[in-house]
Amino acid sequence: MNDVLKVFARPQFPHAVLVHVELSALALLIAVAIALPVALAVNRSSLGTAVAVNIGNIGRAVPSLALLALALPFLGFGFAPSLVALIALAIPPILINATTGLREVSKEVIDAARGMGLSGWQILRGIQLPIAAPVIFAGIRTSAVQVVASATLATFIGGGGLGDLIVEGFQKGDTPVLLAGALAVAFLAIITELLFGGLERAFTPAGLKVAQKRQKAR
Amino acid sequence: MIEFKEVSKIYPGAQTPAVKDLSFEILEGEICVLVGPSGCGKTTSMRMINRLIEPSSGEILIDGEPNTKMSGTALRRKIGYAIQQIGLFPHRTIARNIATVPQLLGWDRERIRRRVDELLELVGMNPADFRDRYPSELSGGQQQRVGVARAMAADPPIMLMDEPFGAVDPITRERLQDEFLRIQENIKKTIVFVTHDIDEAVKMGDKIAILEQGGILAQFDSPENILTHPNSEFVASFVGADRVLKRLSLLRVADMRLDPADGADDLPTIDERLTVRDALSQIVGVGATGGIVERDGERQLLTIKAIEGLLKDSGSARG
Repeated sequence: MNDVLKVFARPQFPHAVLVHVELSALALLIAVAIALPVALAVNRSSLGTAVAVNIGNIGRAVPSLALLALALPFLGFGFAPSLVALIALAIPPILINATTGLREVSKEVIDAARGMGLSGWQILRGIQLPIAAPVIFAGIRTSAVQVVASATLATFIGGGGLGDLIVEGFQKGDTPVLLAGALAVAFLAIITELLFGGLERAFTPAGLKVAQKRQKAR
Repeated sequence: MIEFKEVSKIYPGAQTPAVKDLSFEILEGEICVLVGPSGCGKTTSMRMINRLIEPSSGEILIDGEPNTKMSGTALRRKIGYAIQQIGLFPHRTIARNIATVPQLLGWDRERIRRRVDELLELVGMNPADFRDRYPSELSGGQQQRVGVARAMAADPPIMLMDEPFGAVDPITRERLQDEFLRIQENIKKTIVFVTHDIDEAVKMGDKIAILEQGGILAQFDSPENILTHPNSEFVASFVGADRVLKRLSLLRVADMRLDPADGADDLPTIDERLTVRDALSQIVGVGATGGIVERDGERQLLTIKAIEGLLKDSGSARG
């Protein structure tokens, strides 16, 4: 155990954590910036929604390691190709949840809103987005945890991060180093889960929480 | 006043029109019920008034002006809108739901707050108990009340109501209908009311427009005239074989001229607030030939004969 702590004390350790967090956060941010506008854009068309959901599902089926391997021949080694691969990994859950979440806002609610004279933009911003918020944030949370875990693999194409420690420990047969890397990744993933779970709750409108509670009580 | 001028609607890809050459006028302060079997275009017709649907040809005038004169959203903010599924916003409190249109119109907070409380009281809900609740905490009947209150929020001269009392049990529906008619007596809105239920149409309408398949206006007239003089097989069968009884439900015992009753102690007592139809049911139900109505401390006699007399006199007043 002491040896593991010694690894944490290494001068390179904070850097590895930083790269890992940076890689994950950036990938997630860019994925949100891509997936959300797409979801909003296809919102009014059932064909667009179907296409987006299917692309999302196909994207989801591709394993993370395969994505990284795919990035290698086209983009080479380093941080940037790892980032691209992680973005590709992060988009599907966000895209699927955002499109279906917006779609599932009941037709009657939208009809009532239109009938009272809300504009398309007002319906989207004031009605659809708040009602879909919990579903959208659940998608972002899934993506975030997945990205943090998968960023470990970036080491294989020279992306850095905590994966470096695991590979180093593995190659040298150095269990404390291996463990330190694995523990740190697990810890980061848990923190991410908690953080985004909190965000999800924070962005769930009070009225929907009341509705959820009542549904459970039934 | 709302005027349909040869309005037709053909949906893209459809073989037959949903609404065909519809022309009629809805007078100010009247409830006009659009009624007919499913697929008769009644909802489509209603939704063309506030341009949720645009007609393929013809035009709709509101107070003499084509409804295309302003933008769809601006138009819709001036017309109340209530639907069967209610469509309350689940993430907003009852107060904010009701405040939807006033907020869009930029009313100040204090005015909105007062209006919300006023409307909650109008529909029989205690503002202190309900304004901060969420839709999911309300019963079906309460939700429909809020839906109607929301439609009335900005005091629009015209209201469109698509089966607004459809999603509740019959007893609640009857109560909501009565309450709404009572409210309408004071507010005198021009109301377009869609239903598939002829009984509701007869009860709610000052005028009834019966539509048949393909969006053709089969008859447009007062409930009395439709019940006494259906102008086609279709209308006669749609209003039903019991149309004579339906006419009686338009009249209340209180509106009948009755003679004093002498003796006749074995007859049932009839509440004068009942519809004549319900009174008849009570009389026949106990096997009597008449009943006693207590009015202004006087005992009066209501006979089946008197009720028959009512049916011959087609120009009778509404209750």
